[in-house]
Amino acid sequence: MIEVKNVSMAFRMTQDRIQSIKEYVVAMAKGKLKYKEFWALKDVSFTVNRGEVLGIIGRNGAGKSTILKVISGILKPTAGSVQVRGNIVPMLELGSGFDFDLTGRENIYLNGSILGYSRKFLDEKYAEIVAFSELGEFIEMPIRNYSSGMMMRLAFSIATVVNPEILIVDEILAVGDEAFQRKSRQRMMELMGGGTTVLFVSHNLDQIREMCDRVLWLDHGQVKMIGETQQVCDAYQI
Amino acid sequence: MRKKWDLPKGCVIVLAILAVLAVLFYFVAGEQLQVRSDATDAVSPSASAGEILPGTTLSQQFSSPGGRLTGFSVLVGTFARQNRGTMYFSVSQQQPGQEPVLIETFAADLEQMQDNSWCQIWLSDPVEDALEKQFILTIWSEGCQTGQAATVYFGNSIATGRFEIGSEGWEPLQQNGVLLDGTLCLQVYGGTDLWFGQYYWAFALGAELLAGLYCLRLCRLQAKGKSCFGLRFIHAVTHYRFLIQQLVSRDFKTKYKRSVLGIVWSFLNPLLTMTVQYVVFSTIFKSDVPNFPVYLLTGIVLFNFFNEACSMGITSILGNASLITKVYVPKYIYPVTRVLSSGINMLFSLVPLFLVMLATQTKITPALLLFPFTLVCLLCFCTGLVLILSAAMVFFRDTQFLWNVLSMIWMYATPIFYPESIIPARFLTIYKMNPLYHFIRFARMVIMDGVSPEPKAYLICFVFALGSLLIGGLIFRKVQDKFVLYL
Repeated sequence: MIEVKNVSMAFRMTQDRIQSIKEYVVAMAKGKLKYKEFWALKDVSFTVNRGEVLGIIGRNGAGKSTILKVISGILKPTAGSVQVRGNIVPMLELGSGFDFDLTGRENIYLNGSILGYSRKFLDEKYAEIVAFSELGEFIEMPIRNYSSGMMMRLAFSIATVVNPEILIVDEILAVGDEAFQRKSRQRMMELMGGGTTVLFVSHNLDQIREMCDRVLWLDHGQVKMIGETQQVCDAYQI
Repeated sequence: MRKKWDLPKGCVIVLAILAVLAVLFYFVAGEQLQVRSDATDAVSPSASAGEILPGTTLSQQFSSPGGRLTGFSVLVGTFARQNRGTMYFSVSQQQPGQEPVLIETFAADLEQMQDNSWCQIWLSDPVEDALEKQFILTIWSEGCQTGQAATVYFGNSIATGRFEIGSEGWEPLQQNGVLLDGTLCLQVYGGTDLWFGQYYWAFALGAELLAGLYCLRLCRLQAKGKSCFGLRFIHAVTHYRFLIQQLVSRDFKTKYKRSVLGIVWSFLNPLLTMTVQYVVFSTIFKSDVPNFPVYLLTGIVLFNFFNEACSMGITSILGNASLITKVYVPKYIYPVTRVLSSGINMLFSLVPLFLVMLATQTKITPALLLFPFTLVCLLCFCTGLVLILSAAMVFFRDTQFLWNVLSMIWMYATPIFYPESIIPARFLTIYKMNPLYHFIRFARMVIMDGVSPEPKAYLICFVFALGSLLIGGLIFRKVQDKFVLYL
């Protein structure tokens, strides 16, 4: 399903980020256009099978988010290759595709299209999304009038309505009041249990133990360990 | 897959549309496809030749601007009074070492003559093979007395640089064999047969055949499961159509969301700009462009589209940074949708243009059907440019400020509110490198003159559009992987 082969990812860091032509020319004239290379990922290889839930753990800056971005095609690896069969739906940082001047309904279609849903699909699921978000009549209002809780509920409802082949989750999202949190947790569990391949990044080891089939432990951009959930988690916790 | 089934059908539809367009184009473009009309520049009048009384003969030597000599016009003056008599114009062809051969003589009734008007005369039988031949126009009067005769003008400088063929090199005007200081105010019309028009059907058939072959290749490749540029393009269009639709409608909805008049601004904006510029340029600065409101509005609508598309498109990658770093969507979608939404906005501003055309009683001709051609070319041109600009903007944030200055220069370098004839002839070559000049010129010819431009104009517009799209696309593709690192 997903095959990651010898993936390395280097970021070039200049001393300070050059963002204007003047700075660029000045830096070049001074001969200071030196880059420091920073390897966010070094020779990472693993495969994920269909229907598997893979947890990814590691410290801050270990390269967890980077590997997710490489897999979803946002970043192009410096070396190595990634092969993905199936459509990927990333759980966006909630609401990042929203336009505040549009109504809830318009945002459902906008955000849905960005996530790669088709019009037919959205037409079918529209009622379900609105029902899940518990927004009721507010759905016809511009979302700049929404409370932050309402916005999060809407975003979560759109992102999880799909039945994707591959789902990428960067931290499980706890949104809304307690009742909604319970509901959203249940929705996540349903998705993960429903034959979907899931890549799941979390710092919450309890969640990882509960949900994952296998776990990948990244450390400083390298695979420290990959294998059975309990084994890896135990090793990580020491 | 469903798409596999669709492709041959789509190909047939596309080919059929192409064929219909080719036939339609032939009839709409009409004569302009076959013959290029040329005209020489007339010198600006600096002196009159005095009353032309019986016994006075003026003769002016001239040459034809095209392969066929079709007619001429002469600036005549009546001293603002009612005259009586007849003025004769006769055209003859000079033969080296022989007497000139008379071609035709025309009579003009002095009583009908308007003061300071161009007296236009068409040869009843155009002279073929006229290029590089010398002709003589002889003017004399009969039946008029002093105080009742008309005159013609002459001069020795050309104020406009509109056409490439100047009248320099003609010998000065002769009055009874005496050379005067300057040439006659005379404009000569000619025509040149275009090989493109003669072989039009061959070209059309060839293009259709090529398109057919390409479609065949696409179908074969698809059957084999291989990929190529065309297939990827079709795939992208079908796959991301919904996304593009949504993004465009978002741009459009948010643009006027919190304004009272809303979409009316799309109509009002060009109309108000036109009014202001019309008042400024028709009262404060005199401008002698015929049908100035339509001239102005055509330029404004097209340039506004260009300007809006570029200034909005330049931030299209940067503005969607939060999406680009989180979801994989082909990055060119963002600049392309930006240009498309500006394009839709422009379509709305065509409504006031149409209204002004009706109000000024501009003739509505079938040539208007050719207008979409220049719009599509302009759209492609903008897309290419926006791809470059938005990519540059990611790496250097000063692009935006640089562009502000550049777009201002561009505005003055484009004939929006001034006639192109004020450009000195020696700058014309540089001036004509401006692609917008060609797009706007095309639009004005179609709208105001009601005729199709010459085939060369199509080619120029097409080349600029395609070139910009290709260069923009290549640059964008080369650098797009680095965007994420700089956002």
